[in-house]
Amino acid sequence: MSDIPTRSELGAYVDEAAKLCGLPIAPAHRPGVIQYLGVVSQAAALVMEFAVPETEPAPVFHPTPGEP
Amino acid sequence: MSGIDYATSDGLALVAAVRARRAAAREICDIALARIAARDPDVNAFTRVLTERARADAAVVDATIAAGGDPGPLAGLPFAVKNLFDVVGLTTLAGSKINASRPPATRDAAVVAAIRRAGGVLVGALNMDEYAYGFTTENAHYGVTRNPHDPRRVAGGSSGGSGAAVGAGLVPLTLGSDTNGSVRVPAALCGVFGLKPTYGRVSRAGSALFAPSFDHVGPLGRSVRDVTAAFDVMQGPDHEDPVCADRPAEPCLPVLDTGAGGLRIAVLDGHFANGGEPGAFAAVAQVAASLGVTRRVTIPEAHRARAAAMVITASEGAALHLADLKTRAHDFDPLTRDRFLAGVLVPTTWYVQAQRFRAWYRAQVARIFREVDVLLAPTTPCAAPLIGQERMTMDGVEVLTRPNLGVYTQPISFIGLPVLSVPVTMPGAMPLGVQIIAAPFREAHALRVGALLEAKGVATAVVSA
Repeated sequence: MSDIPTRSELGAYVDEAAKLCGLPIAPAHRPGVIQYLGVVSQAAALVMEFAVPETEPAPVFHPTPGEP
Repeated sequence: MSGIDYATSDGLALVAAVRARRAAAREICDIALARIAARDPDVNAFTRVLTERARADAAVVDATIAAGGDPGPLAGLPFAVKNLFDVVGLTTLAGSKINASRPPATRDAAVVAAIRRAGGVLVGALNMDEYAYGFTTENAHYGVTRNPHDPRRVAGGSSGGSGAAVGAGLVPLTLGSDTNGSVRVPAALCGVFGLKPTYGRVSRAGSALFAPSFDHVGPLGRSVRDVTAAFDVMQGPDHEDPVCADRPAEPCLPVLDTGAGGLRIAVLDGHFANGGEPGAFAAVAQVAASLGVTRRVTIPEAHRARAAAMVITASEGAALHLADLKTRAHDFDPLTRDRFLAGVLVPTTWYVQAQRFRAWYRAQVARIFREVDVLLAPTTPCAAPLIGQERMTMDGVEVLTRPNLGVYTQPISFIGLPVLSVPVTMPGAMPLGVQIIAAPFREAHALRVGALLEAKGVATAVVSA
């Protein structure tokens, strides 16, 4: 899949990923899901193309509850 | 109630009248309830009005005063809250039909409890976008909340009821939540003040979350001192909210009228100076001119920050509602359903990269705050759109209206900065907002500038007749 997937690629991804997640998607909802995943994929492309310098790769976890 | 106009007085003027025994809290409460009964059918800000409970709470305030006790700094102040805050005895709807079958809350959300402890009188719960996922409060289950200044237009969202209730003069103070702009957008479009505190400054315990990496709660009001007074009683550590900062409260009301002397202020350039309608930038220019500000600074990659906020929001929002999305997607509002479903399918690599970018972006903005104290930017790119308006034009390009109302707010809440949105209204035009943005935990800087703008008459809440 390229950075900006086609609608057909998005549709195929939605169908397979939804199966993997156990997420039923009604036929009436499928076009809207594809459309919005397309919007998010465009946003994600902007994020993914940016070379982030080395940073902690996940939100910082504190082993003691309540620590900031 | 002599010498006070309920619909236009700010909340602290009402409190002063109660504390000085020039008005009874019960009397003010009844005026609020009567105004809600008369005006709310046109606005649809409230999803529930707590008539008897409010009267009982007001009576307690009056009894405390009669007994010589201290009724609190918000004594007799009528307020209402977005219906994602727990209110004891009410089911917390969060704008949804799904949650309506849940049992009532057994205790108030931390912020609701804080305002009530301070003497505030809770009069009801307010409409919102379902699960806070929207900027327009066109709620399929509970109806559209209309803009109090033009009923053909939206009130903004997701705290649309919170903005409209203040702008319509129903209550002087409301509480909302802000994940990507949901306090600031309705505050701007309804012509009122709205404060989004620093991420972690105010407890979210007892409020329904949306995207926990960005969720904040904050007040909307008729004056800077009203939102400041509410903020002061709400802020501080709370072990029941895991992201609430372990740092002491820093009251802002005592320094509110100290002016902007010593504060280095700049207008945000780049992303925040493009795409909006001329009026949005004229409002910023008017604020800057009144403060004598000519400096401009650019936050790098702000457009990418907005994109990363969208990715994280989609993913975290969907994760919170996964069980319902699997079993009863048809019960979601059509305006949120497909977006929540799509959010389930967001690849983890996108989410993690967005979080990594967030850390980088935070560092860039921290560098800017070594040189300046306060940043100015539009709150929204335009005044309130029409209800049902699907598209609008930005920079000559047709775009979706609803998501783009947050184009200037998302890159700020993305890293948890405190922001006061102040209302600026040009003659004959609908209200707009200007964001007064400060460094983390420097709410006082934004509030001081807001108070100065209000004193100069540049920023003024507009309450519809």
